[in-house]
Amino acid sequence: MTNIQRRKFLKYTGGSVALTGLAGCSGGGGSEETTEAGETTASEGETTASGGSGGDTINVGMVYALGGLGDKSFNDMAHRGVKQAAEKYDVEFQNAEPSGPSDFKTLQQRFAQSTSPDYDLICCIGFAQTSALKETAKQFPDQNFMLVDSTVDSDNVASYVFKEHEGSFQIGHLAGQITKMGFEAGAGKTNDAGKIGFVGGLEIPLIKKFQAGYMAGNKYAHEDNEVTAAYVGSWTDPAKGKEIALSMYDDGADIVYHGAGASGIGAFKAAQERGRFAVGVDADQSKSASEYKDVILASMVKRVDQAVATAVENVVNGSFKGGQINALGLEKNGVQPVLGQQLGSSVPDDVTAALEESRKAIIDGDITVPTKPGDV
Amino acid sequence: MNASDLPSSVRRLLGSLVDASVRERIAISVAALFASLLVGAVVIMAAGLVATCKEPFLALGGSSFCYDPWEVYYQLFVSPFLNDFNTALMLKETTLLLFTGLAVAVAFRAGLFNIGAQGQLVFGALGSALAVLWGAAFVPTGVVGSLVLIPFGLVVGAVVGGLYGAVPGLLKAYADANEVITTIMLNFVATNVAFYLVSTYFKDPASQSVETKSVPAVAQLKPVLGRFESTSFSVWALLTGLALVVVIYYLLFHTSFGYDMRISGIQPAAAAYGGVDAERLVVGSMVLSGALSGLAGAVYVLMVLGRWRTGIPAVGFDGITVSILASNNPLGVVPAAFLFGILKSGSLSISFALGVPKQLVGVLRGLIILFVAMPEFFRMVGLKLGVGDRQPVATDGGRPVEGGDDDE
Repeated sequence: MTNIQRRKFLKYTGGSVALTGLAGCSGGGGSEETTEAGETTASEGETTASGGSGGDTINVGMVYALGGLGDKSFNDMAHRGVKQAAEKYDVEFQNAEPSGPSDFKTLQQRFAQSTSPDYDLICCIGFAQTSALKETAKQFPDQNFMLVDSTVDSDNVASYVFKEHEGSFQIGHLAGQITKMGFEAGAGKTNDAGKIGFVGGLEIPLIKKFQAGYMAGNKYAHEDNEVTAAYVGSWTDPAKGKEIALSMYDDGADIVYHGAGASGIGAFKAAQERGRFAVGVDADQSKSASEYKDVILASMVKRVDQAVATAVENVVNGSFKGGQINALGLEKNGVQPVLGQQLGSSVPDDVTAALEESRKAIIDGDITVPTKPGDV
Repeated sequence: MNASDLPSSVRRLLGSLVDASVRERIAISVAALFASLLVGAVVIMAAGLVATCKEPFLALGGSSFCYDPWEVYYQLFVSPFLNDFNTALMLKETTLLLFTGLAVAVAFRAGLFNIGAQGQLVFGALGSALAVLWGAAFVPTGVVGSLVLIPFGLVVGAVVGGLYGAVPGLLKAYADANEVITTIMLNFVATNVAFYLVSTYFKDPASQSVETKSVPAVAQLKPVLGRFESTSFSVWALLTGLALVVVIYYLLFHTSFGYDMRISGIQPAAAAYGGVDAERLVVGSMVLSGALSGLAGAVYVLMVLGRWRTGIPAVGFDGITVSILASNNPLGVVPAAFLFGILKSGSLSISFALGVPKQLVGVLRGLIILFVAMPEFFRMVGLKLGVGDRQPVATDGGRPVEGGDDDE
């Protein structure tokens, strides 16, 4: 065991030499810098062991979220990210899919303790891994981790979160404009009621961010527009998702936006039944769930693939920074509204122009998007 | 159903299983294991033929085989012993299954099919987590805190599991409700009530998942041995499990309560004639079974996760299979749980070392368990139907004439 620890120690300190130059950029991490500096001096002269000359293959471990690969959304996006990195650089990756929440820690530990290969980065996909990673990161202080959709305050964890509220603001802005105009495309038609709906999965802060941005964007489009919001209470209950969406449509809503995982498929079904519109989430669902493309107005795409690819790239370049929260917003297209593949072309130009304007305003800080529905 | 309804060939086959000696039964199990490996190898080859991969291990003519059965079995059975992490994973699974396997076995002995071990485990785990979180405020940190909190958590887990086990026991004893049905249904009740309680009242406010706060470090079962550092396995938990095996064995075969339980399981009418209070015995057995399941839940919280969290693995259901593999003998639970531990750890190694999909690994695990468990299962069916030469005799409590106490 001591031998293993020594190896990892050397590897890490090798990396931290490269880090110290960048430490200034991270800003405010006083304690981080001191620990890194301390360890660097401790292993002076030995850093050649893994100086990161670029010749070594970078090994990446992937621990996916519970939905698993093949979900056509969140996990597949992460998988795409690591594949992209593997095509570009000398990177090899190993996938691990948990069968339950109790597997997160086991899989993280399995990667972290491995010595052949010695994983340079472990990507933990999904907020559900947060509490497991808190412990694993503490147990393996020399191992680099990245976490998507949540934050762990540890020197060896780079957290990637998305400004879903910004992307949702744009969706709200789009929907708020469409609902006020006589819009007809594909299998849907608005009734000019100025009403839209939101279906969430679980009522947690992450999903409330979607709701808050959506509500704010809708209000930005037309001050007197209305939003009704409801939560399914599950990620995997399309029947209930459909029920909720149907009641919203029957109440006059023209467009329903979902942030409900697989339950959201029910909203698409409801839109087809009532001849209205729906908005997808995470991936471009007019493509990944193409049987509903005739009602999917747009999707709020979350570029999980970019987060993973960037983290791997940083490790390859020796610029990986732990203890940092990377918030991906509209400016780098970390989140972006993507119009549906069938309906997109029918959206009037003045609507898309207005969207482009609000996008710039958010990036420039002229519009501040709330993250809590109560603040809208 | 009666034995005489069966065709004579089936009766003879069941009869020979019932009449088999301990040594013969072990030989049957080992033979079944090898048979399952052979069938599994065919499955692996077939799956490898369909799959596409960069480097097939074998190419025959136009077709290529992606997965090497030898390599798969090597990872499955040998790798758990090669690396400390894998060994810890194996022993962790073994430890949890010792408790639930015992739980199901105890109920089985008393003639009760406790499918509710999972629900009792879920509640035991929740009770234990909440009790430790509550109690942490009153105890000092350090060794004293551990010595108070850990036993406290375990006892609360056992009590809660036992109380929840008493429900189907009472329903069976006083309302004649079939325990198979009630325990299955109570699993759902437990899972959903626990989910509701945690998400509404006991949730960690800092977390987005449905989970309680983390129990303090003093209350967690530590790995103890340095080689198992940074794993979720505690030697103490394993030793506790093994000690319980001995205790339950002693209880079943060397106490009058155990004697009553066993007779009730084999021949309830005879037990009643012999003065056993059937109602009390049913409730008592279910309480004991539930307490063992609850203990498994407590160990899960204090050793594995350090908190209660929704999505508890199906350790309670696996306990049923472990118990059948062990033919409901407490001592047999040890090797049966160990086999499950090896399979659990080995299948993780497979998915890491080889590109074999985890679904295929699941098929292999299922095959092995099915093959090994089936002879014992049919033997139990045979015993129930009363085929074979060594039929239980009602008046002497059903003990077969020959063989030691650990015969069954």
